[in-house]
Amino acid sequence: MIKAKMIKRQHESLLVDIGVPIFSILLAFIVSGLFLYFSGYDPGETFSRMLKGAFGSSYAVSETIVKAIPLMLAGLAVSLAFRMKLWNIGAEGQLYMGAFAASWVALSFGDLSSWVLLPLMFLAGFIGGAVWGFIPGALRGYWQVNETITTLMLNYIAISWVSYLVFGPWKDPASKGFPLTPRFTLSGYLPSFGDSRVHMGLLVAVVIAVLFYLVLRYSRWGYEIKVIGESQNAARYAGMNVARNMVLVMLISGGIAGITGMIEVSGITHRLQQDISPGYGFTAVIVAWLARLHPFSIIVVAFLFGALLVGGFGIQTFGIPYSIVLMLEGSILFFLLAGEFLRRYKIILVRKEEQ
Amino acid sequence: MKRLPVIEMDGITKSFPGVVANKNIHFRVYPGEIHALLGENGAGKSTLMSILAGLYRPDSGFIKVKGEKLEFSSPRKALSAGIGMIYQHFRLVNNFTVAENVILGAGKSLKMNKKQMEKETLKFASQFGFDINPSARIYQLSLGEQQKVEIIKMLYRGCDILIMDEPTTVLTPHEVNDLFNTLRVMASQGKAVVLITHKLHEVMEVADYVTVLRHGEVVGSTPIAEVDETMLAKMMVAKEVIFNEASHPLLKGDSILELCNASIFGDQGHLAVQDLNLDIKSGEIVAIAGVAGNGQRELIEAIAGLRKLHTGTISLDGKVINDLNIRQRLNLGISVVPEDRMGMGLVPNLDLLDNIILRTYYLEKYSDGIFIDYKSVRKLAEEMVEDYNIYLSDLNHPVNYMSGGNLQKLLIARELSQKPRVLVAAYPSRGLDIAAAESVYNILLQERDKGTGILLILEDLEDIFRYADRVAVMYAGGIQKILDADKTNIDEIGALMLGVEYVRKTS
Amino acid sequence: MKKFKKFGILLLVIMFAVTMVVGCGGQKAADDSDKQTAEKFKVGFIYIGTPGDAGWTFAHDQGRKYLEEQIPEVETVALESVPEGADSERSIEQLAQEGCNVIIANSFGYGDAMLEVAKKYPDIVFLHCSGLSTADNVSTFFGRIYQARYLSGMVAGAMTKNNNIGYAAAYPIPEVIRGINAFTLGVQAVNPDATVKVVWSNTWVDPTLEKQAAQSLINAGCDVLAQHADTPAVQQAAEEAGIYSVGYNSDMRSFAPNANLTGPVWNWGPYYVRAIKGAMDGTWKSESYWGGLEDGIVDLAPISDKVPADIVAKVEAKKNEMIAKTWDVFTGPIYDQDGTLKVQEGQQMTDDEKLSLDWFVKGVEGSPKS
Repeated sequence: MIKAKMIKRQHESLLVDIGVPIFSILLAFIVSGLFLYFSGYDPGETFSRMLKGAFGSSYAVSETIVKAIPLMLAGLAVSLAFRMKLWNIGAEGQLYMGAFAASWVALSFGDLSSWVLLPLMFLAGFIGGAVWGFIPGALRGYWQVNETITTLMLNYIAISWVSYLVFGPWKDPASKGFPLTPRFTLSGYLPSFGDSRVHMGLLVAVVIAVLFYLVLRYSRWGYEIKVIGESQNAARYAGMNVARNMVLVMLISGGIAGITGMIEVSGITHRLQQDISPGYGFTAVIVAWLARLHPFSIIVVAFLFGALLVGGFGIQTFGIPYSIVLMLEGSILFFLLAGEFLRRYKIILVRKEEQ
Repeated sequence: MKRLPVIEMDGITKSFPGVVANKNIHFRVYPGEIHALLGENGAGKSTLMSILAGLYRPDSGFIKVKGEKLEFSSPRKALSAGIGMIYQHFRLVNNFTVAENVILGAGKSLKMNKKQMEKETLKFASQFGFDINPSARIYQLSLGEQQKVEIIKMLYRGCDILIMDEPTTVLTPHEVNDLFNTLRVMASQGKAVVLITHKLHEVMEVADYVTVLRHGEVVGSTPIAEVDETMLAKMMVAKEVIFNEASHPLLKGDSILELCNASIFGDQGHLAVQDLNLDIKSGEIVAIAGVAGNGQRELIEAIAGLRKLHTGTISLDGKVINDLNIRQRLNLGISVVPEDRMGMGLVPNLDLLDNIILRTYYLEKYSDGIFIDYKSVRKLAEEMVEDYNIYLSDLNHPVNYMSGGNLQKLLIARELSQKPRVLVAAYPSRGLDIAAAESVYNILLQERDKGTGILLILEDLEDIFRYADRVAVMYAGGIQKILDADKTNIDEIGALMLGVEYVRKTS
Repeated sequence: MKKFKKFGILLLVIMFAVTMVVGCGGQKAADDSDKQTAEKFKVGFIYIGTPGDAGWTFAHDQGRKYLEEQIPEVETVALESVPEGADSERSIEQLAQEGCNVIIANSFGYGDAMLEVAKKYPDIVFLHCSGLSTADNVSTFFGRIYQARYLSGMVAGAMTKNNNIGYAAAYPIPEVIRGINAFTLGVQAVNPDATVKVVWSNTWVDPTLEKQAAQSLINAGCDVLAQHADTPAVQQAAEEAGIYSVGYNSDMRSFAPNANLTGPVWNWGPYYVRAIKGAMDGTWKSESYWGGLEDGIVDLAPISDKVPADIVAKVEAKKNEMIAKTWDVFTGPIYDQDGTLKVQEGQQMTDDEKLSLDWFVKGVEGSPKS
């Protein structure tokens, strides 16, 4: 009898590091191409349209970036917690709380000038998300409550809270009852580049990525995050305050997810409404993993992920139903993740002795 | 009366990479017998029993159960042959009742409701004189009661050979008594019990027959009536006489570190160390000898500052330091090389630079408050690698690619770079080959000669005699006795380690 | 650390390269197909859901097919499941860039995005279903579905045996509240003792939540269920429980052959044909359209055989009154839940009042807030 066994790769080899991703990407396109072909669609044309939809014009590229900005920010947010092996899957809820807090500022102090209002909204967004990260962080740090569950549950509360506001107290009287808040005043609009919808959020994401890089790589606090993430026992032995660091990391992770929410309402929707995020907080988890938690990789992976989503969505007008689009995106993702797994582990066949 | 053995293991050999755990072992167990399997940690007891329980396969040799030659490829097969193993960590479902744990999975459960299961359990347990509430949930039970449930569960599954791995370590003395009574009842009903242990007095108290393993080989197998504790102790640890090779300390100064009446809680909430007294003088090596699990880990953590003393005091140079944390103690000169090299002492996935500053990264030397000055860290690392002859391919590679000996040297070098007054090192030679172990000990000897007080936690008696100036024998959370290394012998220490009072005129 | 970065970037470069290679292979074909379609009049649809839902988007998609049948020169494209946040503007823009002459969006949340894109494309006609604001090239359109709801309420009121009717509703917004009120007025017109229990599912499209809402109404003893939700889940729940139900959006008989009595349905096709014809011959003008039974944009699905003939006749009569515009649903006297007279006898609510309804009429049990 032959059994397959997975073992962790002991040594990193360049061949594996380069070969596996190339292979998995090729395989992704071959398999999804075959899939399209047998579903009666022209794979070449489909991929070409995807490419055009994502990169085909300056407008397409700008829209890809618009889609990528929240993925970048939320990806950075969760990556920080992941580095400490804190499974923050609550970025979605933290994003909503950030959007809520920033909207409160924008709606309450709309008369202020942009120079004052935007930083205030930024701060509020951070605080909104930070509170939502602090709660599970403190529960985990001081009472060992599993943060995966608490962050997940807090998502629902945050999303329902925003729904309540837009259906109830914050509803725009002029919206004839539709669940929207009034539009922000112009000073609450995040400036964008030229005529495009690409807004300053891009800059924010890049700055945060650079900060992350410096902090994680060279700072004392980054060192503590590294050590705690690798081994809590070693951290205790080094005299680090593990619980306090956990709280702090969750707080900042949540805060950056909150900034993501602020950026979406201030840069895109210009008001608070339901569905400000179609699951950015969850997609961010995949982005962070594919980028191996490296801040600069997150920026690039988020951009390509945005391209996959934007390009994929657009091929519907080629007559491909949305469900097939989802399967296509899913299979590409599947091969990428499987490839990533194979890069870390190898599968060996073991002969089991006969009875 | 001529009886047939229920178990015959013949010519069993099993090796793991680098170690032969069992060498050509012959082992027989008869029905109605309580058979003790005695040996030091690492003597091969657990391996042998794991083979019997179907967890490992032997490299050679065969097993006969009730005269029939069988090959176990899984614990399930062993179970169906009537062999049940009870581990130190029980395999019970905490939220289920006693009855559910006993009956579910035994193959007859489908037809029974809860009431019937409880009735059946009660009936079955009373056959063996167990007194247990079948509707209690496992988490409500004490460890001793949980162990009973494990035994009932195995018996219910039709086991007539029960292997128990160190069953008394988790029990109170009263519970130990209970367990022994249970075992006797079971034996009287024809069941065979194999007791894995390293506690001599238990063997004498309950076993009918004893087999002693040392370094993976059987060194004796005899009815209990024909031996006494001293003989067994000798069989377990006997080695050629070793002379204390270490040069005597140049200077042996004042006490640096002192522990007075120290009691320390373990993780399970019991007192792992009780009323311990110990002092370490400048320029000497004190070795703590003892079987692992007698409070050594808790003692080290308490000295390091990771664990609070429950009672008693710890003082450095006469000043009580009970309330100081690990960083403050390091600053005052207490360096610690923990037992768990890769789990605590070093961070395997980080590179050598990051590992070198694990305990000092926050000091001004290496950091301006926000950023770490990796330039000076690199300089330090290069010096250390050179001074201590640490072999590695790249300072930026994760340290888990380094060999055990180099890792241990790195760890010790890092701790010594703080110029400690006292160095505590737990099992510094564990897992190292002879040459590597020697170079580690040489570093320690040099350090001692500079006047540092060194506390070693060791298992290997050979090393103790070779390097220690004084030997403190630890047993059941206390120091049995502190002996000068050149005024004792291996038999005495071996006996003390196992909790036996050693009678000798000269001691 | 270094490893991470190197690899991450490598991965991306490769992904990029492969996409490029694969993409360029199909470049030529794409251009050809674009040319082919250039002569046709192109209409683009932005859907909030998917046509497979048998509900809201399904009804719009039926209208799209009707449009293609009626005007052969028209070619249509659709983007499904477009989220109402950041993605909507890009999706509308895509249709504009792909040469659509008319763009139709079927959810109110697309309003901001549609107005933005409309500014950039003055030659394209934008039709926004259930929208709020118009512009020179943006119309809003909707139908007086409440008229059909009133009729379906009459059927429900006649068929309940214990005077206990349930209504699974999506969100507490005026559109939904208006429908509940109209339905209840219809119920009470034939059966003054019957009441309507309202449960909010807080979703437009979620079969599980909708079924849960239905189940809670069944548990509360309702023997007829009505719905303002986009899937047939409520119908299926009623069928399983062996009680009656009133559908919505499209004829839902096939999902609950025994339970379904009738239901208010949308019939967007005629409006689309009218609007697109106008756009094609240049007579189209921006408007805020709110048509009723008389235009056929809303209707009542076929009534089940189980409903007695005299009731069917009464329903027909009321329908004809509304078509003839001799009577409309919100004609006084109308009382609110507290019994306060809100519309005087003989008076009618204005359209503005109807569009901002936030209270329930007498006979509704439940709160107009979720």
